[in-house]
Amino acid sequence: MALNEILARAKKEQRAVLTEIEAKQILTGIGINCTDTRLAASKTEAVELSETIGYPVVLKISSVDITHKSDAGGVKVNLKNRDEVEQAFDLIMESAAAKFPDANIEGVSVQAMAKPGIEIIMGMIKDASFGPVVMFGLGGVLVEVLKDVAFRIVPIDKNDAVEMIEEIKGKKLLEGYRGQDPVDIACLQDMLVKLSDFVDQTPGIEEIDMNPVFAYKDGAAVVDARIILYQ
Amino acid sequence: MMELFFKPKSVAVVGASGTPGKLGYVIVKNIFDSDFAGNVYPVNPKSEEILGYKVYRSVTEIPGEVDLVVTALPTPKMTVATVQECAQKGVKAIIIESAGFAEMGGEGKVFQQQIVDIAKKNDIRVMGPNCSGIVSRDIVTSIYPIRKKVPRGNVVLIGQSGLLAAGMASDIVENESLNISKVCSFGNKCDVNENDLLEYFGNEDGIDVISMYLETISDGRGLTRIAKKVAAKKPVIFLSGGRTEAGARAAMSHTGSIASNARIVEAAARQTGMIMADDFTELKEFAKVFSTQPLPKGNRVAVITLAGSVGVNVSDLCANYGLELPKLTSETTEKLKDMFDTPVGNPVDLYFSVTKIGFTKTLETTFPNAFQDPNIDAAILILAGFEYTQEAVQKKIIQKIVQDVGKPVIVCMIVGYNKYKNIIMDEMGKELPVFPSLISGVKALSKLCEYGIRKQKLSA
Repeated sequence: MALNEILARAKKEQRAVLTEIEAKQILTGIGINCTDTRLAASKTEAVELSETIGYPVVLKISSVDITHKSDAGGVKVNLKNRDEVEQAFDLIMESAAAKFPDANIEGVSVQAMAKPGIEIIMGMIKDASFGPVVMFGLGGVLVEVLKDVAFRIVPIDKNDAVEMIEEIKGKKLLEGYRGQDPVDIACLQDMLVKLSDFVDQTPGIEEIDMNPVFAYKDGAAVVDARIILYQ
Repeated sequence: MMELFFKPKSVAVVGASGTPGKLGYVIVKNIFDSDFAGNVYPVNPKSEEILGYKVYRSVTEIPGEVDLVVTALPTPKMTVATVQECAQKGVKAIIIESAGFAEMGGEGKVFQQQIVDIAKKNDIRVMGPNCSGIVSRDIVTSIYPIRKKVPRGNVVLIGQSGLLAAGMASDIVENESLNISKVCSFGNKCDVNENDLLEYFGNEDGIDVISMYLETISDGRGLTRIAKKVAAKKPVIFLSGGRTEAGARAAMSHTGSIASNARIVEAAARQTGMIMADDFTELKEFAKVFSTQPLPKGNRVAVITLAGSVGVNVSDLCANYGLELPKLTSETTEKLKDMFDTPVGNPVDLYFSVTKIGFTKTLETTFPNAFQDPNIDAAILILAGFEYTQEAVQKKIIQKIVQDVGKPVIVCMIVGYNKYKNIIMDEMGKELPVFPSLISGVKALSKLCEYGIRKQKLSA
């Protein structure tokens, strides 16, 4: 679905938060690689999609009313076959119904289990004075505890993206720490510039969170994404 | 339009007073004492003459054109009325020094908005309120008496705080500690803000360094765009107040505005190439280094010292602040070897040389040799406040070497007797950047190197 349609639909439904699938559609549309994520409205569809995408898969609750999917027991990972998918689907639905009885649930998102990489966080926030600001950092514990992130004011150019990645203390992890393969830093730089260009040209976006992004020797993939619109 | 603030042909002072000590008197006296050659029109309904200038009852009564109006009135209401009169008169630039506006909240905010509305409608630029205007050779509108002639220097200092700017200006002018051109305070910045001034001074020939203090950022996006352009041409040294939560609370009670997020401000500085200072002393010290020293091509530093321990400490500090201490070339060490009992290293410890041939002779030979070394981009010279140092300083030996070599240097004065130390710091401080601690000197030099390297990259 095109960006404008997604934004229009969210506006019509008076939603500030886009679903993960919508967020990934938008990001894919601007050339940022996301894990293939699709909506299954039923258990049968979940199985069909899992077979198409290929095991192992991840199932996540898809509901505009549930932002913290894990807290709702709404995430099941590493599902290796049809049985596991069916079972996971039921568990997710039961748990969601118990914890969020009033939530409007459109189904589950099915996505390929991304192969592990170095965890990255990338995002955008809007500052009252500086306007859109992009962020880059190491994900997981490193972002939560050490706040090892770099910011730049939009618009950024290639050189700014280079400096952002240079700036974080944990950059050695990206360069191939202890014999590990270095990650594809050029790809991460490119993603940052694309993100900046996108928010620079698209008014109405308040926040973007790509967390985690898995960075690999070749390329990177956005595993989870959130987009919040300006209300 | 910004020219009207700095190079007006005529100026009116509203709220002028004939009573020495009153703000309205100090402003007129400051203008009187500056090189201002245009018409001065004090405005006060009750006086006839102040410092030889004819006094007018109102702005509208002034016969000729008025480029700039400076106001120091006791109430915000009177200020609003004056701005209205200025609009009638066709004045295009006003500096409002009175307080009692947005920084007070409540009614003050309303009065400030009234000023903004009148100014917008009539195409008037307003500096302030709650500021102390401009200190320069051409015109001084400060509420602090400036007793000496302001230099025609190459540094401008712009800042949000009125009293601070006035205080720094008097300090700098009185002590000749910085070669300033202008100090400009813009207070609540109801109209003229940092972006206007940064752009103006960025394009102003003869201004080589801009130092800026902000508590709030009016338009961060604009600041990023303008600062990037200006910082590519000349150094912009930037102190941002209210960056932490504690500071932000202070800023709220001070200028009535909420401070920006610290990390975003820092990111903007990195992105634009502005040089962040951490306090007011640094704002001044960095300006001193940037305005007196050439830009280094790299970060390779020679440390010249008289005590090994100090050399060790400086080496550590250099490492912490991204400066390298490379080995001197074999040509240099060969030249120097007779002066030393131990192999010549970096830090260059002059002690043995001094014991052999004396301080002055050592300075004249060893220092320039090490400083000229092709492996070296800049030097840190560590001196002590003793009699022989004072002699060398008064004979301008160090100053001359620095000028001849043409590379940047910073001087640290760490020990000695005050009777010598103070004279050395004052005298040498007029020409070279002299620091009272190793860390302040190393930090300042590291900023100079950082900027020099960035500029080389930009031009590559």
